[in-house]
Amino acid sequence: MALDIAVLVSVGRHPASARNRRAVLDARALELALNVPGANIHLIHAGDADEPALREYLGMGVERLSVLGVPAHADVLPVLVAHLKALRPALVLCGAAAEQGAGSGELPYRLAAALGMPIVPAVAGFELHGGRAQLAQALPRGRRRGVEAALPVLLSVDRAAPEPRQSAYARAQRGQIERIAVPAAPLWQPPGEEQPARKRPKRLKLISGSGAERMRAAQGAAASAGKGQLLVQPEPAAAAQAIYDYLLSEGILRG
Amino acid sequence: MSTTPRLRNMRRPRLEGSGRVRRDPRAERLYCGEPAGETLSARGLPRRDPRAWYAAGPQANGRVRIDRSQRPGSASVAASAPLRAAEPALKTVVIAEPAFWVLAVPDLDDGRLSAHDRDVFGGARLLAADGGAVVAVCFGPAEGLDLAGADRVLQFDAAVFAGYAPEARAAAVAAVIATLDPRHVLLPDTPIGGGDLGRRLAAQLGETAAVRVQKLSAGEAIARGNGGRSDYHMAPPRLLLLAPEAADPLGGVRHEALALPVPELDTPTRLLDRGLLAIDPNSVPLAEADFICSAGNGVHDWSAFHAVAAALGATEGGSRMVCDAGLLPRHRQVGASGTLVDPRCYLAFGIAGAPQHLQGITRCERVIAVNTDLHAEMVKRADLAIVQDAQRVMPALTRLIEEKRHGA
Repeated sequence: MALDIAVLVSVGRHPASARNRRAVLDARALELALNVPGANIHLIHAGDADEPALREYLGMGVERLSVLGVPAHADVLPVLVAHLKALRPALVLCGAAAEQGAGSGELPYRLAAALGMPIVPAVAGFELHGGRAQLAQALPRGRRRGVEAALPVLLSVDRAAPEPRQSAYARAQRGQIERIAVPAAPLWQPPGEEQPARKRPKRLKLISGSGAERMRAAQGAAASAGKGQLLVQPEPAAAAQAIYDYLLSEGILRG
Repeated sequence: MSTTPRLRNMRRPRLEGSGRVRRDPRAERLYCGEPAGETLSARGLPRRDPRAWYAAGPQANGRVRIDRSQRPGSASVAASAPLRAAEPALKTVVIAEPAFWVLAVPDLDDGRLSAHDRDVFGGARLLAADGGAVVAVCFGPAEGLDLAGADRVLQFDAAVFAGYAPEARAAAVAAVIATLDPRHVLLPDTPIGGGDLGRRLAAQLGETAAVRVQKLSAGEAIARGNGGRSDYHMAPPRLLLLAPEAADPLGGVRHEALALPVPELDTPTRLLDRGLLAIDPNSVPLAEADFICSAGNGVHDWSAFHAVAAALGATEGGSRMVCDAGLLPRHRQVGASGTLVDPRCYLAFGIAGAPQHLQGITRCERVIAVNTDLHAEMVKRADLAIVQDAQRVMPALTRLIEEKRHGA
């Protein structure tokens, strides 16, 4: 039996040209799904079926895209929940946050709560073994954490996931867009008065004192000057032991 | 024999100097608190010793200052005072009967409060300004919560909350919300920490959170959305996920941080934490590296350096000297003209510490230096400095780590 994977995609927006495109994170989610051998991929979008940017996902190598026809600025959550409850996929993949609309990153969590699935954010890769998913979760500083969950599970993908493949134009034109009529959805209300984002100044770290003190602070020595431990001409073994003990005590190495 | 009496009668100034108690009238005046540099002459006129200010030693800011106040005794008072003023005792704020509660849930990555966590506590104090109390909900031990601004602390220490346990933590915070009914709940909006937990809570409680809050005041929260192109101005909702620097951290006061009883919980665990996965440390960009092992001009044994970096699981870095010499690729250069790095620990072998290199490691919290020069800037900067040849320490460290790994 082939594994059913639902990939939820949205319309992205290029940060410089402001043109619609495939969303960066959703394309990564689709890339992860395409790398599962023998999977049955259901590509799902809620919105306008005539949006040309949607075909970029089809160009990545999927035959069909299902579009749930909701108007712009509608709340897509109830429509998606109803569709996924009927589909019962083993795996739901989506980007962490949309590039247009609210983009608060709350939708995957609400969806998981409504479907009764566990959710794992920031997935960088996964393997499936006997009804369980072994996930690699991206942590800050390039680290990865192993997380295990039973299927079905919802995975949200961020920038640490592998780069999406290129979209082929001919394939994008050949792919089918299936329009699914859905009941009217309530309109999404912005959480407050909307204004163009204003760049906020970074907090300044004011350092007073003499020129020498400011220079030392700029070099980072002010915080730790004179506090460190100093070993003069120790035996190499003793020096190695001191370094090892320090790394253990600070939790850098695990014993 | 005839010379002995003569020698005995001769003055031997060195022996005298060592044996005799010598008096230093200037030091005695300072010690007794007598006005330095101000004496009365034989005729009863006030005389000023022009060298007294110098003898009094450095004063404020480590600089020698000439006392021009014309007041007798002022120089000596300044000299006898400690060079640095003592830290003023912090005032402890006590909120015995709070009108309402505000929860703050810090990330406590590595069991420490990050700058972002302190900002969250600062925001919580803003929202609790009119008679409320801030409750810190911590998973695992934490230090410095009193200085951050927590009035009460709820510390969940059970094993189910350790590691990556967002479902158990969300259930715990939801239980606390149900019992205390706080006016606000604040979390740092970090991808795996507070951002994850806060969105889980929002979904569980069926509330809309203010996410990526850029600026927080008592009456307004400015959230960011629409792909970073829009700001949403709103009255602060119950759940707030704060971006870094959304509020200023508290300073100069201490709060009580009293422990509250921790409720017993039945927590779900559908996700299992399998621990950190082994990754190739050199595949991580230097700017993101967690632990950097860096080589400078004092390293000649490059195979030993690569071996120790591999044994430690550290990303390799280098000074300008070694990158100029082609011993490491250019993208491994640390410093003002290379990469400004931000690892948790920086281990420097044979690096003297040029100002440009030190600028590159400004944000490092822990620095270990191995260098032959006791007076190198790197040795002064380091938290653990070892004055020894890197060529001897590197193989010893590799051996030790291999032994511990195979022994364990």
